[in-house]
Amino acid sequence: MLRLLKLEFSKFRKSTVIVLLASFYFLFLPFSMYVATTLPEIPGLATKNTLVSFTKVWEYAGYAGNWMVFFFFGVLMIYTISLEVRFKTMRQSIIIGLSRKEFFISKLLIILALALIASLYYALVTFIIGWLNTSEPDLALAFTNEWAIPRYFLMCVSYMSFAMMFAYIFRNAGVAIFIYLSYVMIGENLIRLAHLKFQESGLTNYYPMNATEDLMPLPLFKLAEYIQKKEFDFDLLLSYGTAATMTSIYICIFIAISYYNFMKKDV
Amino acid sequence: MQVLKINNLTKDYGRIRALDHLNMTVEQGQIMGILGPNGSGKTTTLGIILGILKQSEGDFTWFENKYGKSHRLKIGSILETPNFFPYLNALENLDIVRQIKGSSDDNYDELLKLVKLYGRRKSTFKTYSLGMKQRLAIAATLIGDPEVVIFDEPTNGLDPEGIAEVRNTLQKIASRGKTVIMASHILDEVEKICSHVTIIKRGKLMASGSIGNILSNDLTLEIGCHDLELLKNYLSGRTDIRLDHQNDKFITCLADEQFDVAQLNFDLHTKNIPLTHLVARKTRLEEEFLTITSAQNRN
Repeated sequence: MLRLLKLEFSKFRKSTVIVLLASFYFLFLPFSMYVATTLPEIPGLATKNTLVSFTKVWEYAGYAGNWMVFFFFGVLMIYTISLEVRFKTMRQSIIIGLSRKEFFISKLLIILALALIASLYYALVTFIIGWLNTSEPDLALAFTNEWAIPRYFLMCVSYMSFAMMFAYIFRNAGVAIFIYLSYVMIGENLIRLAHLKFQESGLTNYYPMNATEDLMPLPLFKLAEYIQKKEFDFDLLLSYGTAATMTSIYICIFIAISYYNFMKKDV
Repeated sequence: MQVLKINNLTKDYGRIRALDHLNMTVEQGQIMGILGPNGSGKTTTLGIILGILKQSEGDFTWFENKYGKSHRLKIGSILETPNFFPYLNALENLDIVRQIKGSSDDNYDELLKLVKLYGRRKSTFKTYSLGMKQRLAIAATLIGDPEVVIFDEPTNGLDPEGIAEVRNTLQKIASRGKTVIMASHILDEVEKICSHVTIIKRGKLMASGSIGNILSNDLTLEIGCHDLELLKNYLSGRTDIRLDHQNDKFITCLADEQFDVAQLNFDLHTKNIPLTHLVARKTRLEEEFLTITSAQNRN
């Protein structure tokens, strides 16, 4: 396992695109927190620094990270596979001795390693920002976060495995990135909307990317949920437990489809 | 030891049959050339035996199954184009190959000197010429000291100097006693480098054996004079010569190994047919290849 992870690091450590995408995540996550410190008070909803003090900071940073992981790490994951197709290093790796299974596992290890690093960074940045912006911080309060770090980790794995699936299916970076971004930002919302018109049901919350997003929802969504409850008789958000369960199931499906697709095709 | 045994290998791309029940064997120490025109199935064969293409029928065995599924670690190969990460330099790319092979004692400097790339070892792959890329790929095939090296059209796209350099390197590799499998459509290349040859056309096996066995012992004669029609009439009357083809300068004929060329010269002189051109040589692989493949066409 470590050999494969080291191999992947050797392959991509000097790729400008990959280094840039990863750097953007590490720069923009704290930057988004800084932006939150400059937001004005919203009477009745949020006082100054609400979003960056414990315990709300975990939700806010998680939501900001949600977008960044979706974009930067999702695209990065597609790039690590399509780049190997483009430069034919995928086939070369197999020709010179890597088994297909090892190649597949090495990409899964990238997902797990990046998800772990991204989650630890989220925890570190959130802790520091929260500590600096909470009037009387203490450790018990600081870590009152409803399993935010494991939820964040699961969210990272979900986005990247979903992106990986498109990379294996389409092989071409442009097509895979377009389909991935379009589906997450537009496609699934349209499908859910159509579903809602056909059947007003909480089932619309169970779609894969919605379940993933609900692991780290918008902090003020609770209010929106209150508003919506007046219109619909079901919750706007999945509970954390349900979102985590559904996301885990979807991750298994994404990985299974990727594996089947990769093992079946010529490289 | 039998390094490779291919049994009835067949590959279909939709309705097109690229390989048609191909059988082939490579013994240890052989330098096997897989010869065939473009589109004959050479690269498809190599793609299947290297695990990147799935065969439709048939099977193959490496090293009599001695290494099980890890047999590819004992094989160094280039398939079609040299494939490396363009933003990494020669040393970094070779190190990736080493990590995959799981070898530990490779001397990159020695390998890069062998392929004359030592001076450019820290330049990124994307800055290399095609010849340099090809030579780096050859160096990569030697990582992990493989028992077999496979080259697919190793001189494709190279200029004459590049071709000479690559051929020279291949001959050095072959002289190290490794089993070499080389696919090519360049007959001269195969004839100069290989000890054995397998000829395929349209995915079918046409002939296989040592170069000596494939090449017949016949002599090829090129005979020219000012009046080629007169010469042709005379030669067609002889039973010890078979007319093959003619151009505007000479007639090419085939004769037995013991044919007396001096006597022919004397006979033509006495018939008042003075010669302007007379060459007697062993039959070349190119001629044999054309004979074998055109025989199949007629069938």
